[in-house]
Amino acid sequence: MTPLISFRDAGVAFGSKQVLEGLNLDIAEGEFVCVVGASGCGKTTMLRLIAGLHPPSEGVVSYAGQAIARPRPEIAIVFQDYGKALLPWRTVSGNIELALEAAGTPRAERGAIIANLIALMGLEGDGGKFPSELSGGMQQRVQIARSLAQRPQVLLMDEPFGALDAMTRQGLQDELQRLMMQQRMTVFFVTHDLEEAIYLGDRVIGLRRNPGRIGKVFDVRIGRPRDQVATPEDPEFLRIRRELYDFIRDTEREPAS
Amino acid sequence: MRQRDLLWGLASVCFAALLVFLWHLISAYRLVAPVFLPPPLAAFNALANGFEDGRLASATAETLERIFLGWLLASVLGIMVGAWIGISAFARNYVMPTLELLRPLPASAAIPVAITFFGLSDAMVLASVGFGAVWPMLLATAYGVAAVDVRLVEVSRMLRLGRFSYLRIIALPNALPDILSGMRVGLVVALIITIVGEMLTSRTGLGQWIMLAARSFRSADLFAGIVILGLIGLASALMLSQIERWLLRWRLQA
Ligand SMILES: Nc1ncnc2c1ncn2[C@@H]1O[C@H](COP(=O)(O)OP(=O)(O)O)[C@@H](O)[C@H]1O
Ligand SMILES: [Mg+2]
Repeated sequence: MTPLISFRDAGVAFGSKQVLEGLNLDIAEGEFVCVVGASGCGKTTMLRLIAGLHPPSEGVVSYAGQAIARPRPEIAIVFQDYGKALLPWRTVSGNIELALEAAGTPRAERGAIIANLIALMGLEGDGGKFPSELSGGMQQRVQIARSLAQRPQVLLMDEPFGALDAMTRQGLQDELQRLMMQQRMTVFFVTHDLEEAIYLGDRVIGLRRNPGRIGKVFDVRIGRPRDQVATPEDPEFLRIRRELYDFIRDTEREPAS
Repeated sequence: MRQRDLLWGLASVCFAALLVFLWHLISAYRLVAPVFLPPPLAAFNALANGFEDGRLASATAETLERIFLGWLLASVLGIMVGAWIGISAFARNYVMPTLELLRPLPASAAIPVAITFFGLSDAMVLASVGFGAVWPMLLATAYGVAAVDVRLVEVSRMLRLGRFSYLRIIALPNALPDILSGMRVGLVVALIITIVGEMLTSRTGLGQWIMLAARSFRSADLFAGIVILGLIGLASALMLSQIERWLLRWRLQA
């Protein structure tokens, strides 16, 4: 089976600085891939390659066999800074509608789609509110709803829950898991939280830095749905967790830039 | 919140009353000759008379129309050109420098130019108002359109918004607070230039009214005209801030 997304000897340089090098990775359709690594190792840059927001300096990154040259309608993104990614002058519904407008969805069909997404993301009753009236967690739900309105095949998430408190984060992790089980989507999820990566991922990619490259790949063979209490006690979880911590500690011993 | 608004409103009414009272004292004690400064009551009588025989009312209506049309022209032009400059590197590099050259020209310098083109006509007033009032709107729009947060630019790239959609959906709403304050400044400029233009062209209007009253030492009529100008300024500012409050209601929360 051809992979949905593949990196072939892909690298990125900013000027003379090699940020990513020799990336080779295949992501299958429906897979949940998490990427971890020290800050500044190039996780966001890797995600931006798939998004089509940045071209590789060498090699190829492709979607369904086609090189990604610019953003594609099948690929949606969720940014960490929900406060900046939403239109502050639009209500919750208006922000979700943005994706539908952009996709040229007829006006008459938008209302039902928005209502569905609002229900799906637990935003009932908030449709008429402005982002400034919502908590961080609710704002991030709006951003996820908007990305889903795009009906993407691939969801890119750059530390989406990094700015949220622990309770909110766990709630959203479980909703994301439920969503992914319902709608067969491929997810590329960047995080610096190792437990989060193991809890959510089918695979966890550990990056080394200077230049950023794939150091170690962990397959997470833990059934779904996973559980916030039971899963972290699973022997498989604990084993990967230990190995991942060792790996990260090892990468941090390497010199920084 | 409401109570504080009310208190401030009350305070400003008191302040206005105080000024009128001072005015009354100055003219009652003849600190300034009544030929130059009429007592407030005389000015208000002139106001009432002027409206009764309809001359002041029609002058006011004409002036309002000129201010509004000129301001509208300046707004439409300013927002369109400003949006273009804000979004296009070409316009920023090739059009903006020329505009920077024109901008420091005071509107009063534009009036003689407008006169050679349009004569002493309404079109000349309109052109002068348009030229003078366009700058605050143009610059505010150009700034606000260009100052979209990089994150929102990326969001619109991911959604593959075309240039025009980007302008309509992201950049112009992003510029709205700036545009509104530009329009507020533009309105004041439009008022000033309209009056000057009316004085020069001698077309029916408050400018002409004030000019004629001053020439014939009818200080009560003169002050009646000035009071109306002040009221126009006040009313338009209040109206604009109501509109602004509604348009920017998303900002008031949190
Ligand atoms: N636009 C850019 N120009 C120059 N350097 C950049 C740019 N974007 C990222 N970098 C550099 O690339 C490296 C990786 O950045 P990033 O992908 O954001 O790391 P991470 O997301 O893992 O923290 C950092 O050293 C950063 O300074
Ligand atoms: Mg990052």
